[in-house]
Amino acid sequence: MENEFLYMTAVVAVGWAVTYAMRALPFVLFAGRDRALPPAVERLGNLISPVIIACLVVYSYSGLQWRTAWPYIAGALTVGLHIWKRNPLASIIAGTALYMCLASCGCQTAPEELVYDRAHPLIKFSNLGLQFRGEFVSPNKAVELLEKHRVPKESVIYILVDSDYDYANDRAMWVFQHNYLGKAGYRRTMLVHERRAEVINAQEQLKGSSGGVRGSPTEGLKATQHGTGVRAPEKPKFRYKRADE
Amino acid sequence: MSPKYSPAAPRERRAVLRRAFIDSLPVLMGYTTMGFVAGVLLAAKAGLHHAPVWAFLTSAACVSGTFNFAIVQPVAERVSIWSVALLVLGINFRYAFYGFTMLARWRGVPVLKKLFLIHTLADENYALEAACRYKNPDANLLYCLALSAMNISYWILGTTAGAVAVAVLEGALDPDVIRSRTDGMEFAMVALFLVIFTDQIRELLRHGK
Repeated sequence: MENEFLYMTAVVAVGWAVTYAMRALPFVLFAGRDRALPPAVERLGNLISPVIIACLVVYSYSGLQWRTAWPYIAGALTVGLHIWKRNPLASIIAGTALYMCLASCGCQTAPEELVYDRAHPLIKFSNLGLQFRGEFVSPNKAVELLEKHRVPKESVIYILVDSDYDYANDRAMWVFQHNYLGKAGYRRTMLVHERRAEVINAQEQLKGSSGGVRGSPTEGLKATQHGTGVRAPEKPKFRYKRADE
Repeated sequence: MSPKYSPAAPRERRAVLRRAFIDSLPVLMGYTTMGFVAGVLLAAKAGLHHAPVWAFLTSAACVSGTFNFAIVQPVAERVSIWSVALLVLGINFRYAFYGFTMLARWRGVPVLKKLFLIHTLADENYALEAACRYKNPDANLLYCLALSAMNISYWILGTTAGAVAVAVLEGALDPDVIRSRTDGMEFAMVALFLVIFTDQIRELLRHGK
């Protein structure tokens, strides 16, 4: 709350300062001088601005569904309409409307279905650190990603533990479970030993099915609890430490 | 030498003000619509508690449409303030070249009025003020002041209304529903950049000829 206040105040202040400085620059540079702009500066200005805006276009495309064709189709419509009609508002509204339709009216490629059952733990702990789906991340980022992928709070978070992870002495995982996952509302965690995950994966491949449980985490939860789904038939050699033990 | 500024005749003042208002009507359409979208995006996607207040402050402090659109994603991710500064520098660098056109026109304008005019030198204001036909510096100044004041009030009104609309709806609707309904609206910023880019390329081609 207070954090947000300070951060946004800083954003507004920085935004104002930088924008105002840019706008005032020529008035400061040429204060009290009665001469026209040097032609070199004018040429540079004419050239630099489009280059910067082009960079911004590329940058802002990264926030869209840039792997699909839709933002490019909408972009072509925007530019084409603007070349034709020269009405900024019409071009922007038409392009945005087309993009919203294309991106949300079922034309988009199916969203990636995130599997997070026991056989496919999202989070891995090794001596090198914490990984989320194969990428090294900070504990905060891992929790953020869980929330971003809409993993429900009631589902069990399986944590894959590297075979040589020293979890008797390293407190990092414990801290992660309690101070990060627990605080964010993910109170059910389960450690999965790396070798065991391999066994489950191998069994799934043998079964040749679509992999037991996908998508719905509650379905996965039920399946594992009742022992019908991905649970391996043989008894585990030892009991895995629960998060809250 | 700087031209003298003397109060114009009331009749002439009214004509100038009417001209400024008529010229600002297309901007009224554009700024309220785009501002509304910017306000909706800020309230729906940036994860702020008092989005209307911030929408008002951001649009009043930096009269820049691109800024309002561009900060939504960085604020949602709470990136460092230096990254924000760099981003703002990148998107608003073009303003540094707007002032050059106005140097001669605004010579001798009183300091406070000049500061205000610089503050409001956004894309649309620049386009209209650069195309202003009043040769009389007095009428020109009045026209610029009136136009700037009207245009930025449209923009502030639009963003604040958008953020307030989302804040009101959030009580009735699930935030996730609002988020999914506004999905794709972020293309408005890309479209704005594309339009500015097209204009600049057109200008470049026109100068090359």
